Amino acid sequence: MEESGSEKKMEKENPGPKMDPPLGEPEGSLGWVLPNTAMKKKVLLMGKSGSGKTSMRSIIFANYIARDTRRLGATILDRLHSLQINSSLSTYSLVDSVGNTKTFDVEHSHVRFLGNLVLNLWDCGGQDTFMENYFTSQRDNIFRNVEVLIYVFDVESRELEKDMHYYQSCLEAILQNSPDAKIFCLVHKMDLVQEDQRDLIFKEREEDLRRLSRPLECSCFRTSIWDETLYKAWSSIVYQLIPNVQQLEMNLRNFAEIIEADEVLLFERATFLVISHYQCKEQRDAHRFEKISNIIKQFKLSCSKLAASFQSMEVRNSNFAAFIDIFTSNTYVMVVMSDPSIPSAATLINIRNARKHFEKLERVDGPKQCLLMH
Amino acid sequence: MANMGSDSRHLLIPEVDHEINPGPMNIQFDSSDLRSKRPFYIEPTNIVNVNDVIQRVSDHASAMNKRIHYYSRLTAPADKALIAPDHVVPSPEECYVYSPLGSAYKLQSYTEGYGKNTSLVTIFMIWNTMMGTSILSIPWGIKQAGFTTGMCIIMLMGLLTLYCCYRVVKSRAMISSVDTTTWEYPDVCRHYFGSFGQWSSLLFSLVSLVGAMIVYWVLMSNFLFNTGKFIFNFIHHINDTDTVLSTNDSNPVICPSAGNGGHLDNGSIIFYANDTGLQQFEKWWNKSRTVPFYLIGLLLPLLNFKSPSFFSKFNILGTVSVLYLIFLVTFKAIHLGFHLEFHWFMPTEFFVPEIRFQFPQLTGVLTLAFFIHNCIITLLKNNKNQENNVRDLSIAYMLVTLTYLYIGVLVFASFPSPPLSKDCIEQNFLDNFPSSDILSFIARIFLLFQMMTVYPLLGYLARVQLLGHVFGDIYPSILHVLVLNLIIVGAGVIMACFYPNIGGIIRYSGAACGLAFVFIYPSLIYIISLHQEERLTWPKLIFHIFIIILGLANLIFQFFM
Repeated sequence: MEESGSEKKMEKENPGPKMDPPLGEPEGSLGWVLPNTAMKKKVLLMGKSGSGKTSMRSIIFANYIARDTRRLGATILDRLHSLQINSSLSTYSLVDSVGNTKTFDVEHSHVRFLGNLVLNLWDCGGQDTFMENYFTSQRDNIFRNVEVLIYVFDVESRELEKDMHYYQSCLEAILQNSPDAKIFCLVHKMDLVQEDQRDLIFKEREEDLRRLSRPLECSCFRTSIWDETLYKAWSSIVYQLIPNVQQLEMNLRNFAEIIEADEVLLFERATFLVISHYQCKEQRDAHRFEKISNIIKQFKLSCSKLAASFQSMEVRNSNFAAFIDIFTSNTYVMVVMSDPSIPSAATLINIRNARKHFEKLERVDGPKQCLLMH
Repeated sequence: MANMGSDSRHLLIPEVDHEINPGPMNIQFDSSDLRSKRPFYIEPTNIVNVNDVIQRVSDHASAMNKRIHYYSRLTAPADKALIAPDHVVPSPEECYVYSPLGSAYKLQSYTEGYGKNTSLVTIFMIWNTMMGTSILSIPWGIKQAGFTTGMCIIMLMGLLTLYCCYRVVKSRAMISSVDTTTWEYPDVCRHYFGSFGQWSSLLFSLVSLVGAMIVYWVLMSNFLFNTGKFIFNFIHHINDTDTVLSTNDSNPVICPSAGNGGHLDNGSIIFYANDTGLQQFEKWWNKSRTVPFYLIGLLLPLLNFKSPSFFSKFNILGTVSVLYLIFLVTFKAIHLGFHLEFHWFMPTEFFVPEIRFQFPQLTGVLTLAFFIHNCIITLLKNNKNQENNVRDLSIAYMLVTLTYLYIGVLVFASFPSPPLSKDCIEQNFLDNFPSSDILSFIARIFLLFQMMTVYPLLGYLARVQLLGHVFGDIYPSILHVLVLNLIIVGAGVIMACFYPNIGGIIRYSGAACGLAFVFIYPSLIYIISLHQEERLTWPKLIFHIFIIILGLANLIFQFFM
């Protein structure tokens, strides 16, 4: 099977000492020292153990899901055993209370997301005192340089007080270490709530969270992996993280009008979340963004089995032509033309020329430019 | 169209596990039990036409399909983390079968493509669906056609509609290029005639449904009126059959239209001039002026329900009503004896000729009486031994023909002709019994209840077909639904007030709707498919064109005869 094969591969490549994941309550306090990622901005995905973060991460980032790892230190095992794309090795140090240090080579998840953001997944709270201790001792390291905090609440949780308590302690840490971070709260697993009660329950939670988050501002979404709400929530998050998104949209509209496209979509590269789009007329299917994203991520998974990477795609029939191509360093573009008489080469040239303009836009400190209509 | 919705099809009947329910919010507790997972499958769709407005698969189901495919690539097969729990998979669609003047009910859909019904059950289901209120007009139809002609026509129409039904059942087998297992007859029409076929089959199906609903409203007003009158007369001990031409009997047969020059009696003639109580009652309880409006308050709210599955539980009332009618007719026939005289061409004072030129009226009524072509495919799908489909269908049609013949002939033959003329047979033969007759009172009550439970179902089916195809959503908003219901109810009320001749309504809507589903489409599709396979021969062509001409003539002559 996939995972066992990759594990074997990993064992061959890491001849160094193996880390034994600590099980049960350790004696004394142990602490992990994080590798030197202090310079990169982070996206923290936090929440109670079992709230659905790993599934969410797998779905959004098209990673193979880790095996059921609900024991202690779940996310550390996650990093060790999961098959990642774009992975790199990092060095971890284990320091015990006496001061002895052991270092290990560990696979570290490094998903490039929207430029230079790194996604870190942490279990927050729960019964594992190991994680508690680790959490408190490494708090500053974890919460420094955070660009975005995404906190996941399980709507079914029986321990609302405790959840809120852990959430608040995260917020305190954020306030201390990265006060400019954006906060997003996801009320997850909404499919388990009866349909007619969903709005009510979500509104309640949202009010509580807004109140608890003061003075920080948080945006709340209700999500479930079984409908379109997860994709929409993450798309909204990504949309808010892009600095000059309005300008991007205007330029996209100009681009679309110039090349006479029916619809132009801009996707984020790693997750295929729709950053912005332009359509010249009403489209029937409201779910089309998520469907395209799922199809392409599935295709990317197939490509990765062959150690190939997906670059571009053209779909054409007598009614339409669609082009998906790498656009800028952080985005993919999809162009849909309903006039099949326009040759592919023409559209591809247009896309190539537009690429340069949009690259300049992406550079935050670059001069502001607009696509001129000829 | 009998199949509702265009969502996913062929799902297991869910084994809803009502285990420990830990909270009021929870839909499902631990869904790690793989046995309870519903399979989810949708037809593959190809974008072949930009203007293909009506999708067989809804956007929601298509998105869910892609989601499930993608998630299954993220986990190992043994991993349960990302397997869709039952409550997110669309539930099995509700499948209703109906015959416009017969029964309408929800059908249990089976997996694996075949059903578990024995032949007997299938035959009974076909008979039960077809049998309904058209029975009430058969004696009148025989009277309009003449006795001998009537009997021959009933048998011939039975055979003709049976053959067309056989063509409908076989129509899917001729399509080899596409998978047709989930198709109903309108889908076959769409395959051959494009969107014209789809829209026209929708239109004709709606004609039959709205016609049936109008007939129901007229009949319900009639039965409610008579029931009310019976109760009032029973309480106040009034006997008022003296005003109307009737037999001299303890249980008389009346001729309501005799004294009024052809107009139907809308209420008893007021001759108790000094009885103000009766006067008041007559004023407020009038068959064509007030009772149809009282029904609005009763039935309009029922029409607005989102799901009528509650009403489909009363399907048994239809069978009971028909069996009771058979009993009633037999009893009356024994009581009254036979009164038959055969005059071939000349009408006499009490009898009608054996051959009359108004026989198209009977064929019009019979077209709707033998109508099941819209959902016969669905009904036969649940037959355990599919190879016996044709045999079972023929047996069912034979039983239906026998039932109609039995009731029609008995009522016609036992109608007391010396005092009353055969011309007195009403379009609803229960009208020939006064409201004080206990047996017919019971029949009216049964039929009233049965129609009140079928009416919302027919309204639901009309709504789903019309709104589903025009707006894409079967419940766009309460306003749309209310407007549609008001139109249908309004049509029923207007007809009940001004033209309460159910025989007329049945024959017009039957001939119109039957033109498409019974005569033209099955024959035309057969001719086209034979032509595509190059097996078309002259005899077959001529025979089927003859059927089409018969259907056209059937409709045209309704207006002339």
